[in-house]
Amino acid sequence: MNHAIISCLHANLPAAEAVLNDIDRQGIDTITCLGDLVGYGPQPNEVVELIRNRDIATCQGCWDEDIIDGLNACECSYPSQLAERRGHLAHQWTDDQLTDENKSFLASLPTSLRRDRLLFVHGSPNSQHEYLLPDMDAFAALERVETAGADILFCGHTHQPYIRELRDGSIRVRLQNADHDCDQGEELTLPMRKIVNAGSVGEPRHGSTNATYVIHNDATDEIEIKEVPYDVGRTCQAIVEAGLPKVFAWRLSHGFEFAEQAEDASHVCER
Amino acid sequence: MIERWALVSGLRGDLETYDLIQRDLKKTRGVTALFVLGDLVGPERNCDALLDRLKNPHRGDLKPDCIYGWWEEQLLAERGFRGERKADALRLSQGEDAVSALLNTVNPSHLTWLASLQFGFIELDCALIHGSSSDVGDNLTSETSPLILLDRLTRLNVNRLFTARSTKQFHLELTGGGINSQVKDLNGKREQQQEVPKRSVIGIGAGLNYTLYDVGSDKTHFLTAGSKTNPKGKGFA
Ligand SMILES: [Zn+2]
Ligand SMILES: [Zn+2]
Repeated sequence: MNHAIISCLHANLPAAEAVLNDIDRQGIDTITCLGDLVGYGPQPNEVVELIRNRDIATCQGCWDEDIIDGLNACECSYPSQLAERRGHLAHQWTDDQLTDENKSFLASLPTSLRRDRLLFVHGSPNSQHEYLLPDMDAFAALERVETAGADILFCGHTHQPYIRELRDGSIRVRLQNADHDCDQGEELTLPMRKIVNAGSVGEPRHGSTNATYVIHNDATDEIEIKEVPYDVGRTCQAIVEAGLPKVFAWRLSHGFEFAEQAEDASHVCER
Repeated sequence: MIERWALVSGLRGDLETYDLIQRDLKKTRGVTALFVLGDLVGPERNCDALLDRLKNPHRGDLKPDCIYGWWEEQLLAERGFRGERKADALRLSQGEDAVSALLNTVNPSHLTWLASLQFGFIELDCALIHGSSSDVGDNLTSETSPLILLDRLTRLNVNRLFTARSTKQFHLELTGGGINSQVKDLNGKREQQQEVPKRSVIGIGAGLNYTLYDVGSDKTHFLTAGSKTNPKGKGFA
């Protein structure tokens, strides 16, 4: 059966509607959302209500968490001081706009969802703020999936969709301890695992303005990255009208973020 | 010149044990540094005398460099040095009595010094930490999955991680292996191969069991204070 995974809607209603329409058109009725319903975009209440009304299983994103807990994430969440100031501005604006009811919905979201051998998280199983980038250390990537006890890990947060297969892994070790001096080596064979990043519906950064999401067939394990065009101009105009930083609109109309990649993406926030 | 580190942990207020180790080290060639990787305190006995000695070494003592461990973390949390967090881990695992026992073993005058201790040291390409970069309570042993051990090394970007939390003595070397990875995105497919880096995790023991590490030859010696089997400097080139 096909099911769809969406992430990082970021208060972009036209993008969210376009993606849900695209999913509906294919007759897919299981949808999982990996969080970041709000932040950056101009319609946080509308997007949260869309997800609530459609009863879409959702885990909590980094923005959803920060709106509830306040901005106590360490600076590691932002690639630069400028990005941090803009982030704070958007945070404050979103905080002012969101209704109490929608805030309690965000607060009620779980940090992960599990269906059999599939695990759904926003950033990584460790934290909503950890980035699993497509080229991160392969052993560390496998460790995230393996320690969480999953075969396939679905994540978002990087806003770049990808499918990563980790296979034919092995680690040889040699042990010396207090009892016996040096025993012969051992080899651990590592299992094959996958990480699937759903990209972003409302704030894509993969080099195109199209919204992205992912379809997984749980019988064949086939995975497809989908791109959906939407009315970017409408969202950009709403961003400017709301008084949000214009760079968010500019970014949406370019589809990627110049020089705003986290320097050390593997850094885990330890607040 | 030989550069040799002594690594000690889990003293938990036991001055006698510390004294035996110091005496051992005086008889051992080439020890240039003494690292105490946490658990200076514990609930079993009054810890003030040991803490005094660590802060003010005797003449002839090898000067200790200390970091904090799991027990200090519990004490400091319960005493309000960790924000909202209290000694939850201790309370959960050993109950309320253990928490009050711990509070009673350390005079509050030591708290500022304990709170000033670091989480770990990075020396050369080695990390010295009570648990791991993931958590002060991370219990790494020779049975821990090598995938997790490799992850802890990768997070710190070091070749050797010295850990104490498990109280075990072991030296586990990652000697080889690799992994293939394929990434597919909207631009296409790419393959990647990665080798296992030559790295090690070393459990240094606790209490009377301590470890000597020869920096130049990367050799570890697991010792027990007060026993007769001290390395006389042989076994390394
Ligand atoms: Zn996001
Ligand atoms: Zn995020």
